[in-house]
Amino acid sequence: MTKTVTLTIDDQQVTVPEGTLIVNAAKMVGIDIPVFCYHPKMEPVGMCRQCLVEVGRPAIDRATGQPVLEDGKPKIQFGPKLETACTTPVSEGMVVLTHSEKARAAQKEILEFLLTSHPLDCPVCDKGGECPLQNLTLAYGPAESRFLYSEKHHAEKHVPLGDKIWLDRERCIQCGRCIRFQEIIAGDPVLSFYQRGRDTDIITHSDPPFDSIFSGNTTDICPVGALTTADFRFGARPWEMKAAASICSLCPVGCNLTFNTRREAKAGGKVVIKRAMPRQNEQVNEIWICDRGRFNWHYVEDPSRLTHPLVKKDGKLEKASWSAAIEAAGNQVKGNQVLVVASGRLSNEDLFNLKQLADGLGGEALLYDSLPGGELTTRYGVSAGTNLGDLGAGSAILVAAADLYHEAPIWYLRVKAAAERGANLVIVNPEATRLDKYAKKLVRCGKDEAAAKVRELAAELTAAENLVVFFGRTADRNLAEDCAALLQGREGRANNGLIGVWPRANDQGAWELGYKPVDPSTGSGQALAQAVKGKVVYLAAADPAGDDPQLAEALKGAKAVIVQELFPTKTASLADVVFPAQAFTERDGSYTSGERRVQRFYPATPPLGESRADFAIAAAVAAAAGLEVEGRSALLVMDKLAAAVPAFVGISYRKLAEVTEQWPIVGRGDLYYGGTTYENRQGLGVQLNVSTFKRSNVVRGRAL
Amino acid sequence: MSLAEEYPEQIQKIFAKYPPDRKQSAVMPLLHLAQLGKGFVDRHDLVEIADLCGITETDVAEIVGFYTLYHDKPEGKLRIQVCTDIACALRGADEFLAQLCERLGIRPGETTPDGLVMVEAVMCLAACDKAPMFQVQGPDGISYHENMTVEKTLEFIETARKEVK
Repeated sequence: MTKTVTLTIDDQQVTVPEGTLIVNAAKMVGIDIPVFCYHPKMEPVGMCRQCLVEVGRPAIDRATGQPVLEDGKPKIQFGPKLETACTTPVSEGMVVLTHSEKARAAQKEILEFLLTSHPLDCPVCDKGGECPLQNLTLAYGPAESRFLYSEKHHAEKHVPLGDKIWLDRERCIQCGRCIRFQEIIAGDPVLSFYQRGRDTDIITHSDPPFDSIFSGNTTDICPVGALTTADFRFGARPWEMKAAASICSLCPVGCNLTFNTRREAKAGGKVVIKRAMPRQNEQVNEIWICDRGRFNWHYVEDPSRLTHPLVKKDGKLEKASWSAAIEAAGNQVKGNQVLVVASGRLSNEDLFNLKQLADGLGGEALLYDSLPGGELTTRYGVSAGTNLGDLGAGSAILVAAADLYHEAPIWYLRVKAAAERGANLVIVNPEATRLDKYAKKLVRCGKDEAAAKVRELAAELTAAENLVVFFGRTADRNLAEDCAALLQGREGRANNGLIGVWPRANDQGAWELGYKPVDPSTGSGQALAQAVKGKVVYLAAADPAGDDPQLAEALKGAKAVIVQELFPTKTASLADVVFPAQAFTERDGSYTSGERRVQRFYPATPPLGESRADFAIAAAVAAAAGLEVEGRSALLVMDKLAAAVPAFVGISYRKLAEVTEQWPIVGRGDLYYGGTTYENRQGLGVQLNVSTFKRSNVVRGRAL
Repeated sequence: MSLAEEYPEQIQKIFAKYPPDRKQSAVMPLLHLAQLGKGFVDRHDLVEIADLCGITETDVAEIVGFYTLYHDKPEGKLRIQVCTDIACALRGADEFLAQLCERLGIRPGETTPDGLVMVEAVMCLAACDKAPMFQVQGPDGISYHENMTVEKTLEFIETARKEVK
């Protein structure tokens, strides 16, 4: 057990682990000490001096080494100067005064100093309303300045640091949080200070400028309006926006997001998404998201989206009513074996209902994806209790045939941190990746040799107490099997398991639900082209015709083609019936992340046109074909799913919405501390257990 | 021409001073080397020094920005830095600076039209008892000039003009 220390902060007694900083100890009992440069995710630097407090320690008698007593109590000796709460660790018997006259005076003066170089443009500043400097000035600062207004510091106000981030040099208070984030957390040290004193500027010299996929996070932790995103700046005021919890749909990490929305005239009075913000989940994305997740959601508002069902008449797709379209689709599928081809862009509920449709009609459900090894992850995948944040010394991590920085950026961040805590990171990849510099061992080899190299490493890797193995983009079946073999005997153990770096957010969900790969050996289009011949093909969120002309040709040989889609894709143009689907921002549902964590997302905006949720469309078509499939709400579908699929036992929407206290405390109006990331009040999700039901030995043909 | 082509031996000598796994320690001497010929560090130098030291270009730029003896744009070939802190001011440094600038036809912080001389006021150079004094940063490195008068300074500039050109 860690040693604890008891101290008193503003008359409150606190017991915290040894080594805790005063600022954090205070936070734990709800006492706010203002900070700018300190951030709970980074080591303190004590640069801004905003957190000055009075610190007293028990006086020790030098002769005896015992505390000096005064009226039977230890005498507390206060230092002649104030101390920075962010750099001072607690000690036994310490007394901290955060609101004494002396402390308040110092805090006020620091703010007065900061404001001598800060413009008074809050009314036009994007940060206004969620600005730590603004908030702390109101709470602790002076109402007036003793400095001359005419001597105010002026600097450039619109400096693009890269494509995505703008810098306002005048607003910068030189706290260095952005620089430290890039260097320490992101591992992309592309920002730094230039010049000194009042002339200090933030600069970047990388090529391209501000070359980091995590750049958007600097705007969250910037305590002023110096860093803003090109995407959102001048877009809306923080207090006009509503918040909707969501899950990022762009990669298998499953970062928790919050979409900020508002009704606006520019969009004809419609509710629109203004920005995506991180939402805390310390076991998934902590308080960070990558720039893809932050900026690449705009496709949901693309004007080309499908808004009405379409039915083919005389060789042409024409607008139809829902009832006509459902009837048409029902007639096509009824009495036929249906081949469902769906992608991991869909939610668990959608995939479950589509599989019900296929199973009910004696057909098959395929996952449109090229990375093999899905069923291996359902058996050897990580399970309940796994947190990459727990890995460190004594753990081993293998990253095979994957570039986490580009394929799943937040996993890069988490694996990098684990390696820095002492985990043995081994990378087997054909090309150099940004993760390489943190690896203990690098194996550069072609696709054909990778599996053999992994086998060579087996003894070293399996010696570790905990072992997590990632395999990705360029992995073949052999490599996936050899990765899984490393985890033999570790099934169901927390912090151990196989993680597929899937191309889509919910590929893992599809594997868990029993979807079959398009082609077990290569995943190539050839197999799919064969499979669709003469069948009724039901495609959802998949565009094989657009991806491969050979498949477009093959689909023409299908008996009938039914499509559920967001967009009028090439595949949709070949269909007999096309249903407009809702985007994940317009409905609720759940995804299963690559770490096998099931997480809920919630609607942020009303659905577009007549679009419906994929699970509801699948249920309606199933009903038209005489099957009984739940389609009334995502919650009810999840209940059915949990009852039918062993890995999901015990999962319900209520369970997924459970939250436990997380550290650091963020987003509760104390923006100065953690930044503008959102507190998680909508659920941390549930990690799946390894299925307990018996299966044949999944890893075949190997002496295990 | 790259630094590696221009100063191969000097670069080798600089790196010999530091352990092989502490290459970044060489960044400051390398910056001085880059400044020798032209009086400032350009973008190409930043990239090359970053590569040589195994750090990012931004890290190198930070050092150029922090230290007053590194410059990021072309100014006078001779950079005359007159100390005007309190002790020097008491010995007439302000007046010396004003008169010198007037004779050269520039203001403090500016460069003469021929690109030869740049004059600027700086903080303490630790020669208080010998003011007016200045430090010259030029092609030959850095030199101190103490107990100066405007006439003596102009003479110095004339001599330097022949050498530099």
